[in-house]
Amino acid sequence: MTSFAALKREWLANPRADLLAGIVVALALIPEAIGFSIIAGVDPRVGLYASFSIAVITALVGGRPGMISAATAAIAVLVVPLVRDHGVEYLFAATVLMGVIQITAGFLRLDILMQYVSRSVITGFVNALAILIFVAQLPQLIDVTWVTYVMVAGGLAIIYLFPHLTKAVPSPLVAIVILTIVAIYGGLNVNTVGDMGKLPDSLPVFLIPNIPLTLDTLQIILPYSLTMAAVGLLESMMTAQIVDDLTDSGSNKRREMKGQGIANFVTGFLGGMGGCAMIGQSVINVKSGGSTRLSTMVSGLFLLFLIVVLGPLVVQIPMPALVAVMIMVSIGTFSWRSIRDIRHHPWQSSVVMVVTVVIVVWTHDLAQGVLAGVLLSGLFFAGKVKQLFTVESELSGDGNTRTYRVAGQVFFASTDSFTGAFDYKEVLDRVVFDVSAAHFWDISAIGTLDKAILKFRREGTAVEVIGLNDASASMIELYAVHDKPAAEAQSGAH
Amino acid sequence: MKHVLACIDTSAYTASVCDLAAWASKRLDLPVELLHVVQRNSAVTLRHDHSGAIGLGAKTDLLVELTRLEEADAHLQIERGRVLLATATERLKAAGATGVIPLHRHGGIVETILEREADARAVVIGKRGASHEFATDHIGSKIERVVRASTKPVLIASRRVVDPSSIVLAYDASKPADRALDRIHHSPLFKDLPVHIVMAGRDDDRNRNALRNAQRSLPDDRPSTTALRPGKPEEVIAEAVANKPDTLLVMGAYGHSPLRTLIVGSTTTAMIRTVHVPVLLVR
Repeated sequence: MTSFAALKREWLANPRADLLAGIVVALALIPEAIGFSIIAGVDPRVGLYASFSIAVITALVGGRPGMISAATAAIAVLVVPLVRDHGVEYLFAATVLMGVIQITAGFLRLDILMQYVSRSVITGFVNALAILIFVAQLPQLIDVTWVTYVMVAGGLAIIYLFPHLTKAVPSPLVAIVILTIVAIYGGLNVNTVGDMGKLPDSLPVFLIPNIPLTLDTLQIILPYSLTMAAVGLLESMMTAQIVDDLTDSGSNKRREMKGQGIANFVTGFLGGMGGCAMIGQSVINVKSGGSTRLSTMVSGLFLLFLIVVLGPLVVQIPMPALVAVMIMVSIGTFSWRSIRDIRHHPWQSSVVMVVTVVIVVWTHDLAQGVLAGVLLSGLFFAGKVKQLFTVESELSGDGNTRTYRVAGQVFFASTDSFTGAFDYKEVLDRVVFDVSAAHFWDISAIGTLDKAILKFRREGTAVEVIGLNDASASMIELYAVHDKPAAEAQSGAH
Repeated sequence: MKHVLACIDTSAYTASVCDLAAWASKRLDLPVELLHVVQRNSAVTLRHDHSGAIGLGAKTDLLVELTRLEEADAHLQIERGRVLLATATERLKAAGATGVIPLHRHGGIVETILEREADARAVVIGKRGASHEFATDHIGSKIERVVRASTKPVLIASRRVVDPSSIVLAYDASKPADRALDRIHHSPLFKDLPVHIVMAGRDDDRNRNALRNAQRSLPDDRPSTTALRPGKPEEVIAEAVANKPDTLLVMGAYGHSPLRTLIVGSTTTAMIRTVHVPVLLVR
């Protein structure tokens, strides 16, 4: 059966590797869920329920097998003011609405917008995300005893050095276990997970967010939902691309958008915060051998198992251990290559990348950074294409006719170069514009052609345009003035 | 309609696919396009690294390492594929194929076959591919996907193939079955071969009429016989072709919707699974 074969391929291509990878990933999900619940100002269980529910649902309905989605840093940093000003119930409602927006975006096929996000913007996004994750750890590192610093350093040392000993056991797990034992038996005075708020002690239950269903409420949550939806989709689309590249396989981006939407919609009703795909954890998944839906599913289920069954142990985990894991995720997410490339890449690319990073770190909003990056790369592109414009001219033997050969792209940015390319004061009977190697892109271009022609006419020079390509000719047909009667009478308007 | 598309892989069915393709090639007077799709193993599951630690340049390093592993495997698979194609080409020529065009491609097996069948008059394929080779009385999942999605007649080679000298038509008075009958009448593939039309069902007027009409639609000089037997189609047909290795079973394929098939199972699939002669499926 076609669908059965496809199901088998997407779930059971390599169950053993996927199971193990899912377990490894679950260990990297816990610190992010707990850590960013704290950042967002809610109980850790809000993040943990969300991570469970989003991972399981995207495993079922997402479009990119092997990608890990859960409660993320990118979303958590957005909702801080919402939780602070209005409370956690509004966060649940915003998450539900975020899901609705994402599903709509999926149906509107907004994934095609991703093609306007350049490589430099993606690099900037990834780097900004890494910085956000790192910065979010700072509160745990300020105003604390020296023991905390030693523990974080020790944790990082175990994480990076233990794999040299064996790669059979996840080193973040080893770090967490060792640091927990040290903290308990050493009687060290450090924050533990239990100090940060309530952990779940049961499976999540369905609940309707306790908010008034009024227009005021919508006005409060809509701006948050829109940004959350945009950031969630951006990170998910970028992560899907990274997983595509790593596994050399394709994904259904539109289905992924809808899947993210469904996951967030349901998660809001389960008392979870919004989430999206995670770059760091998805890389860990592929690195550990996960590439199907099974590993995503296992990561969610195992996460819940750990929390609900091993909850009494989890509350004793010292925060420095989780900080160490999150610093690892931050380091693994950052594109270190981009720092080296800054000097070799065209300066425009580097500017776009750096501007994206700066705006995100400044506003804590990945969507604004991406918007700025996309706008800037668009401007730089227009600036570059504008250079593809030359005008050569030739005087006829009798000195009465001049032919201007216009080549290149004429559009809004190149109108000044176009108008300035002609000598209107030369006394001639006739001017020929040979535009066979030029393309007129927009009404600004048509307007500037009009202006040049009418300027020549005012000096008593007849103008002829030859060699228009079809697209340009139809633009002129529709929008130009110079070829219509009474053109001169109106020319003052230009 | 330039050729007969023969699809081979490393399974033991390759020899019989070649023999069957050569037979079709002679009958249709068309060359054989011999397709092998390179299957490299994904390196993702080969690394056995459960450290879960990601450090400086983790994404780039992982991409480089996965590429290196898969590149090495791809080289190996390409070499194997070349040997396979060379051996199969010789076998086809020895069996009298009018021409052989070897084709070596990367990509998904099913997708590549469907892409290449556009220029083909018929597709020849083994009953099971390399990934299902030893599951006896089983039909490979890729084969089934090809058969369902294909718009061309698909010849499914059994383990051993001798040039068919007679035809058994599995007839159930459905539209696909009538199309199969029409093809037997007109296609040069079946020219002059005697036809045995077999129907599974109760011995009543309706079935007898259907069978008689089917036989009448063939020209009078075509040697043909009919049989109406009670029982499940797959059992009746299996019995009709048992111990007749020189028979080609022809049938209309997949008359029912995928949903119905999912619930009650498919007669077509069951038949392909149980018979041990080559099968031609007509869409």
